[in-house]
Amino acid sequence: MKTVKDNFAVGTLSLAVRGALVAMFALPLAAHAADAANDEVAALTHPTNSVEIGVANVSQNSAKFGEYNGLNDSGASFVGNFDIRGGNAYDGAGGTTRWGVNGNDLGTTSRSLGGSVSNQGQWDLNIGYDELRHNISDTYQTPQQGSMGGNNFTFPANFGSINGAASPSARVLNATQLGAFHTEEVGTTRKNTSFGAGYTFNRQWSVQFDYNRLDQSGAKLIGTGSQGAIPLIGTGAPSALFGFHEANNIIMNPTSYKTDTFNLALNWVGDKGHLTGGYYGSIFRDDYNSLTWQSALANGPITCVGAGCFVTNTMSTAPDNSLHQLNLTGGYAFSPTTKLVGGLSYGRNTQNDSYASALMQPGGLPQSSLNGKVITTHADLKLTNQTAKDLVLSAGLKYNERDNRTASNAYDYYNIGRTNVAGIPNLTPYAGVNTPYSNKKTQLELAADYRLAKGQNLRLAYEREDIKRWCNNVVGGAQCVASPSSNEDKLGLTYRLKAREDVSLNAGYTYAKRNADFDHAFAADTGTYPQVNGGDRLGYVAYPYATRTQDLVKAGVNWQATDKLDLGLSARYANDDYDATLGVQDGRTKGINLDATYSYNENSSVSAYASWQNGERNLLNGNNGTATVAPTNIWSNQLKDDSNAIGISTRHRGLMGGKLEIIGDLSYSLDKSHYSTQVPYNLNCGLATTLTCGDTPDIKSELTTLKLTGNYKVDKSAKVALGYIYQKLSSSDYFYNAEQYGYTPNRVMPTNLQAPNYSVNVVTATYIYMFK
Amino acid sequence: MKFLRKMLVLSACIAGAGWVSASLAADAPPQWGKAATAVLNKDAVCTKCHDESEKKPVLAIYQTKHGVKGDSRTPGCQSCHGESQNHLAQKGKTAPDVVFKKGAFTATETKVLNDACLSCHDKDAKRTHWEGGAHQTGDVACASCHEIHAAHDKVRDKKTQTEVCFTCHKEQRAQSHKISHHPIGEGKVVCSDCHNPHGSAGPKLLKKNTVNETCFTCHAEKRGPFLWEHQPVTEDCTNCHTPHGSNITPLLKSRTPFLCSECHDGPHHSKDPAAGSVTGTQGGLTAVPSENYTGRACMNCHSMVHGSNHPAGALLHR
Repeated sequence: MKTVKDNFAVGTLSLAVRGALVAMFALPLAAHAADAANDEVAALTHPTNSVEIGVANVSQNSAKFGEYNGLNDSGASFVGNFDIRGGNAYDGAGGTTRWGVNGNDLGTTSRSLGGSVSNQGQWDLNIGYDELRHNISDTYQTPQQGSMGGNNFTFPANFGSINGAASPSARVLNATQLGAFHTEEVGTTRKNTSFGAGYTFNRQWSVQFDYNRLDQSGAKLIGTGSQGAIPLIGTGAPSALFGFHEANNIIMNPTSYKTDTFNLALNWVGDKGHLTGGYYGSIFRDDYNSLTWQSALANGPITCVGAGCFVTNTMSTAPDNSLHQLNLTGGYAFSPTTKLVGGLSYGRNTQNDSYASALMQPGGLPQSSLNGKVITTHADLKLTNQTAKDLVLSAGLKYNERDNRTASNAYDYYNIGRTNVAGIPNLTPYAGVNTPYSNKKTQLELAADYRLAKGQNLRLAYEREDIKRWCNNVVGGAQCVASPSSNEDKLGLTYRLKAREDVSLNAGYTYAKRNADFDHAFAADTGTYPQVNGGDRLGYVAYPYATRTQDLVKAGVNWQATDKLDLGLSARYANDDYDATLGVQDGRTKGINLDATYSYNENSSVSAYASWQNGERNLLNGNNGTATVAPTNIWSNQLKDDSNAIGISTRHRGLMGGKLEIIGDLSYSLDKSHYSTQVPYNLNCGLATTLTCGDTPDIKSELTTLKLTGNYKVDKSAKVALGYIYQKLSSSDYFYNAEQYGYTPNRVMPTNLQAPNYSVNVVTATYIYMFK
Repeated sequence: MKFLRKMLVLSACIAGAGWVSASLAADAPPQWGKAATAVLNKDAVCTKCHDESEKKPVLAIYQTKHGVKGDSRTPGCQSCHGESQNHLAQKGKTAPDVVFKKGAFTATETKVLNDACLSCHDKDAKRTHWEGGAHQTGDVACASCHEIHAAHDKVRDKKTQTEVCFTCHKEQRAQSHKISHHPIGEGKVVCSDCHNPHGSAGPKLLKKNTVNETCFTCHAEKRGPFLWEHQPVTEDCTNCHTPHGSNITPLLKSRTPFLCSECHDGPHHSKDPAAGSVTGTQGGLTAVPSENYTGRACMNCHSMVHGSNHPAGALLHR
């Protein structure tokens, strides 16, 4: 922390430095002849270029360990990093040009490359490439054919059908079927290629342009429900509404996307104000507009051979869309103490991708594509004033609108589980009406900061938020939203105290009250259940649209106990109460964080932290039955989250005569989520045949990471580095139970997905060449 | 090969641009040299003492943009630290006019520190909303995050940025270790990809005007508009997701079917209680487990929760 030398005498060396600096900038040729001090100065004022090459060895395959770092495969891989910079701005003589190229993690799928060149104050250019492979699973299995990233998944012709109506334990997959299961490494790869350029015309005008192409490939897993006619076990003959059920396949949904993003900004700066006018464009393209797959789950133990055994299904993928947005932001200083800033945005978001093939439709479509259009509008204005010496005032207004001008139409369709497949009875199709949602939010923010005394501040803030929701038109007059409006008032008080030079405290309290209009007579029309309260029980309110009271308290203290020891403690508590007969009732979050750093000399320090967070959410819900739920027919559900994280890190520089640096980092985190359901009206809910009440096992993950790095400086231009990473993840999650062979729900194709657990060691050895 | 080609193109572009820049620089106005020398001579009032033997690498500022003296806008030592006449007269026994970090002398009041930076940096789009923003009102100084004299400013480097932000944002530090997270620790997504710490018109210092606009910068496939929209999705992604880390993949606030039950209790299965039934046979259930509650639960079928563009997707199945 010390920035001033104890000995302030001007020595020979200092004079040499001064001379060197002047020489460096004014007399570049003379710099070459400068004395040894010049070299030391040059070492500080010129960049140190580096090229690092080496090898990394990973002890085991793990998609989760290598989720984002590219180290998902065991074995050796190349380590390559470089950072090279130059330009006459480092050489003096008024030079302003700098350039640089850099690359990181070149041997992995997390590699990046970049380059820039600039003439400071005039122009700059940069280009970049960044790759990121997101490894999702290496345990997913499927009997379906089709490559990851493709959009068509079929069964081998000899696969036959599976009795979807049989319970999983009784359902026997024959040898051919079992043999068809194969493992796929599922993941997506993102490749960003970017270009940026800026030009400064003069002190007032400049322009900046940025372009990015995001190229995605691969897939993510997605659940699918098949059309078909599989009766529920025990329901007997299929009935029009409840006899048929869907068949589920978890398949690989392709992410074959390209997103082009443009940003163009023209900046003006005046003596008192500044203004930026810009264009932001984002154009998204999906190589597919549908995903097709076959389902082999059939209605009974049918002996079936050939492609005719399977039901073909289709679903949509992400539609091509574009956003064009004009932006204007700026500020004006009326005086040194009064400033007005604001911004305007107008965006046009369109989508007109052709609909996927019309499977599941009994008849024609009202249109072949959506021709969707959303207009987004934003405006903000903020005035700040510091006329009074100890008082800072601010007032702000924000407006955001999403105006969905897409047409509303009726679409006839078959629900999953029902069908228009030949040979199976067509059941009554539904007539759904699309409801293009619009909303607007207005916010008023007022705040005052008052300096009570030196080192003591009090801030009082008030915020008012009004939200409106609507649909511009809904064919047939169907209702659109249950909560057409809400408003929230928020009042906050924060106190800051710098008790001494080495102790600072802060404490704050915020109270918020949201009042929401809610229409319990609302009837959503998806063609299936156009019922009162959108099909929810009377008194039920979805939590984002419920009247709510919120309290938030937080406090923190930082104490520099000694020149060497820093301590920090912070805590936070939030409580939400919802005014709803049914739905989320309340929620709480608590958190405590403790930090300590000990710097035992200029070159060495050790830091440690501990964080504890806890959350709780309580929900009431009505049982199956009448629209109005009697108090005796209410069940409850509670979510509890616990999170603990601790870490310790240390850095030692200057060991072995200044040649060795050691960095160590150890962290541990433990997270648990737990649900508890109480069903007081059902005494049998805890029976093993039901299990609709009681507790779930913890969803648990435990992560331990140790990172050690040592750099040894061989000579002025070379270092060798050794690194070691140990990471262990232990996780248990009941989510995976239903994915296993013999344990799936009936009608569900197993995937054998496993909860991620690994213990991976990585060793790296690299050589770093450094030069000026 | 594709990667190699990109590398070659990148290298060629940089090499070409470097050559052009050097050529253009050769035509730079000659007076820049004089101006640079003048500024440097003024710096030398300080650097004659604060030389390369400083424990903090003071002179490394010449590697930064603040050290390019040929740019007439570039500040000298006194631009930020003040003329510091007493400090000079007392040969360092008294503090300079402006002290950015506590050391031998007490740090100057935050407002004064920030005024030194804002005297040049307050008139651009990125800092338009600094005044009244969360960091300004929280008494955060520019120098709390930025290392002005260091050749490598940690907060401006993706690999090291979170070290700086997590100094204060400790809950987010803990959340980034959770099993489901953005690649924050891996340095591929960093705080400033979503947030503008210098202030913004959006909530939580988000760079864009709304939460959804921010998320769509990387997740444009979820932007739509879709034929069948899911209302809370069109309003705020954080109704279901928590961006800094979660125990429930993918970055969810809760696990289905319980997550869905927070907004739906009918007419389908969300009105039915579930507990051990979600754990399937391995959890002790003796009946056949239901796809409505196990595994992806509701999302076994209602998988198009972000919106569907299929004519038969009204129930977000397709």
